[in-house]
Amino acid sequence: MTGVQEFTQRTRRTVDGSVSCLQSAVCFLGKAMQRIVSFFRNMFSPVQEQRLSPEELRDAFRKRYANFRSLLTANNNALQAMAELEKLYYGSKGYRMAVVRSKITTILVNVYKMISNLLAMSDGKYKDLETVFERISQDIENIVERRPVLHQGPMVLPLDEVKREVRDQVGEKMANLGEVGAIDGLVIPKGFVLTASATRHFLTDANLAEINRRLQVLDPDNLEDLYRTCEEIQKMVRESPLPPDLEELLYVHYARLERGTVPHCRVALRSSALGEDTAGVSFAGLYRTILNVDRDSLVAAYKEIVASKYGARAISYRRKRGYRHEDIEMCVGCLVMVDSLVSGVTYSRDPGEEESEVIRINATAGIAKGVVDGTTITDLYLVSRETPHAVVYREMRQDQTASALTYGQIKKLAEAALRLEQHFGAPQDIEWSIDHQGTLHILQSRPMLTVKVEDSDDDDNRTPQVEEGGEAPFMLGGICASAGIASGPIFRVDTTETMRRFPEGAVLVLEHPLPDWAPLLSRATAVIAEHGSEAGHLATVSREFGIPALFSLPGAMAGLVDGEIITVNAGSRAIYRGRREDLLRRRTVRKDIMAGSPVQRIVTEILQHVTPLNLNDPASPQFKPSWCETLHDITRFCHEKSVSEMFNFGQRHGFDQAAAKRLVGKVPLEWWVIDLADGFREGINIEEKTVRIEDIVSVPMLAIWKGISAFPWQGPPPVSVRGFGSIIFQSTMRPELDPAVASALTVKNYFLISENFCNLSVRLGYHYAMIEAYLSDLLTESYVTFRFKGGAADLGRKAVRARLLADVLETYEFRIELESDSLLATLKKKPTEYLKQRLQILGYLTLHARQLDMVMNNSGTVGQYRDKFIADIEEMLACCTTPIFGESGHAGEQETAAR
Amino acid sequence: MREFNVLVVDDEDEFRDLTVKRLEKRGLKAKGAAGGKEALEILEHSHTDVVLLDVKMPGMDGIETLRQIRIMRPLVEVVLLTGHASVDSGIEGMKLGAFDYLMKPIELEPLLEKLGDAYEKKRLHQDKIEQAQMKRHLSMPS
Repeated sequence: MTGVQEFTQRTRRTVDGSVSCLQSAVCFLGKAMQRIVSFFRNMFSPVQEQRLSPEELRDAFRKRYANFRSLLTANNNALQAMAELEKLYYGSKGYRMAVVRSKITTILVNVYKMISNLLAMSDGKYKDLETVFERISQDIENIVERRPVLHQGPMVLPLDEVKREVRDQVGEKMANLGEVGAIDGLVIPKGFVLTASATRHFLTDANLAEINRRLQVLDPDNLEDLYRTCEEIQKMVRESPLPPDLEELLYVHYARLERGTVPHCRVALRSSALGEDTAGVSFAGLYRTILNVDRDSLVAAYKEIVASKYGARAISYRRKRGYRHEDIEMCVGCLVMVDSLVSGVTYSRDPGEEESEVIRINATAGIAKGVVDGTTITDLYLVSRETPHAVVYREMRQDQTASALTYGQIKKLAEAALRLEQHFGAPQDIEWSIDHQGTLHILQSRPMLTVKVEDSDDDDNRTPQVEEGGEAPFMLGGICASAGIASGPIFRVDTTETMRRFPEGAVLVLEHPLPDWAPLLSRATAVIAEHGSEAGHLATVSREFGIPALFSLPGAMAGLVDGEIITVNAGSRAIYRGRREDLLRRRTVRKDIMAGSPVQRIVTEILQHVTPLNLNDPASPQFKPSWCETLHDITRFCHEKSVSEMFNFGQRHGFDQAAAKRLVGKVPLEWWVIDLADGFREGINIEEKTVRIEDIVSVPMLAIWKGISAFPWQGPPPVSVRGFGSIIFQSTMRPELDPAVASALTVKNYFLISENFCNLSVRLGYHYAMIEAYLSDLLTESYVTFRFKGGAADLGRKAVRARLLADVLETYEFRIELESDSLLATLKKKPTEYLKQRLQILGYLTLHARQLDMVMNNSGTVGQYRDKFIADIEEMLACCTTPIFGESGHAGEQETAAR
Repeated sequence: MREFNVLVVDDEDEFRDLTVKRLEKRGLKAKGAAGGKEALEILEHSHTDVVLLDVKMPGMDGIETLRQIRIMRPLVEVVLLTGHASVDSGIEGMKLGAFDYLMKPIELEPLLEKLGDAYEKKRLHQDKIEQAQMKRHLSMPS
């Protein structure tokens, strides 16, 4: 092979997409020169005398066609991105702003391309579109770029001045703690809060811009990348100097604490983030708490906590729950350390049951950190909510002979819990310490996450249960930290290195349920740990995400082998071998974890400017740029006008007779054919307004036609009452759907053809279908695409129909993309004969899918139709040996011929 | 992949060097520039077919660089790279005549495809100009 040949081949092989289309357009133009010359003479002669050379004429045509093709590609891309955005929004998985942003950019850029192409095709006729587009994209931009309003205030507030009212300065946690301090009889540590204004003073705009840039390019699914970026950002925060005025204030307030307690007092620095106000979002354990800080390390500890906003856990959590980083502002509480004898966590109602009448107390000797970290084994007490707060259940899990709490302490804790619940008006999750003098200090009180337990039958946490039927569990025991059933392969994680290799959908097995493993919860189906309790952060987050978690299961790390598939039923504290479908069926749907988040609110607003379609009827006087309200409207308008521009092109230049011809003969429905080049038999009369199928030489069109005419169309089948009701309803909502007002244009079906190219748009009032094909001897250039959308009836039934078509097409090896009721089926790089057969199938389906409008009401019917379609197609393909050319196209005859 | 010249303009050293290396591995001739000014200098002095241009850069930003490239080398195709950029800059770039845009982080395959498409467009454009010139020369009486 010579170098030149090789070069040419390579070029062809890599050419794809719009470029190949452009080349295709050039290819099929070759033979039709004479006709095109006369075409352009007609076009230009009335306006100007200038004679153009054949090359220049060909160029002009090629340009127009290239614009048309590029508009269609942009249309597909825009609709695809819109569907993807909707899928994110309606889907059950979390999504982050960067993805939303990229979808929006894709939509905007492609809509912009469509407008440019249409303007180029129509000599700037629809210039108003630019204004409309400008307005809509500006609206969207404003929504996307909107930032939370930040209130300026003092940089430091003493805790005894803190109330709920200043929570937009001090964050949720410290605002609540300030409230607690004001309640008669409850004690909180002395302290002060470094407010959001302080943080903003510390982190400059330049810092924030750099942080945002790094977060933007981060791929959060790549743990390697996530950890590296987080480390870099945190390092940056740690190394930024604290402004001198802030540093001075910090020391002034510390000195005040010393005066109120003892000199050189130790303090605890606690995060208190702002903007975490969505119900059902815990943000548990995401940020740092640093204990035992002295004066010398005060500044470093403060920076450390501000930096913890950019910890890996926090970033992946925000992402999953729909928070942008700028939605969260970090405030820092500085509290005098409590010299604690015993510490723990109290739930004012046992989270295991919905209307529980017991208080749950987890306690451990010393400080409370181990309880919430999941590193310490705790004693569990269930205490009656009624005075005198009898202990109804007690579990001594610590290796101690004595109970951690005395009855007096338990009573005190129960009273405090009820007091706090009463004050805040909801069950509380309380962190506390009791000092050596016996004083109870409340360190934190926040609303409890009310997670509905999925399997209430199995929720008895105290006695492991054995399932009925099937193989018995091979491991039993532990503490149910989050109820639920899930299955997957085992993957044990003990180092950051193994953490990074953690596969999607595996069961996470740990020694300690440290909060550091939390990023894995977005990929794990269940969590098992040898240690830990239901009070830890990882337990809280598991419950929140609805992931089953079984903790304190002895021998889990040793007894579970990597890669083995197991089924975990956390509620009954049991682990089974293999995938137990019988158990998994009991599972309930995971909740919408994005609900109410800032990102979801943004997408809700954006979608209003993107997806609703107001322009439906091209014949309506409102079908013009000024009536476009959404990007979808613009795409619809551009698409419609581009087709008619190709069609009107001739008309405007005195070429109407040849531009669109009606297909005549005994053909079902109304079909129009526009010849782009070489699509008609040589020697036909261009002046005729009609064309017969025998006059067509476009290979792809003939293949489609063969499918259309293979079986007679029987008209719509009888309508079920429910189906009809739904159509009537939609027709009332959208008048253009009413068959009685359908305009002439909406019922026309257009073939745009050349010898090797065909674009068929079928717009039959209720639904829209498009087949496009280019058949070339070069495999890389050949393609078939099929789009299908809409139809009468509600979205549910539309989706069922699209699914049915997808099923059938999948049988014939089409690549399917299905989003709700919008279907895209493609084939590329296949031999011509193969593609011709597929076009025949598409022709058949396009015609017969119409029948489905009224009958998609039960799954039985769906199956029946799918079987009938496939049977028909098989029959049609079996008799495919008859030559394609020269057939009559008459449905009845075709059928006779087939038999 | 056909061999053509790509200039990668990005202020992030790691990203730029890696991209250049990966493109070279796939048979392209790739160069890197750390900013708009440096990019324009390279364009001035060496042959470039396609520029991969980061929108967000300190100093002369991507949009301004694009504007200059369009004036200086109108035939060179530019593929924009947007990361932390606002939604708007994608559109602004298209208005200024960028070939297309890509989102960071990018995968190699779509990048190669996009660069190939851009080069193809440039080649067709150039062919057309050359043919027109050739015709003019031929039609001129010698």
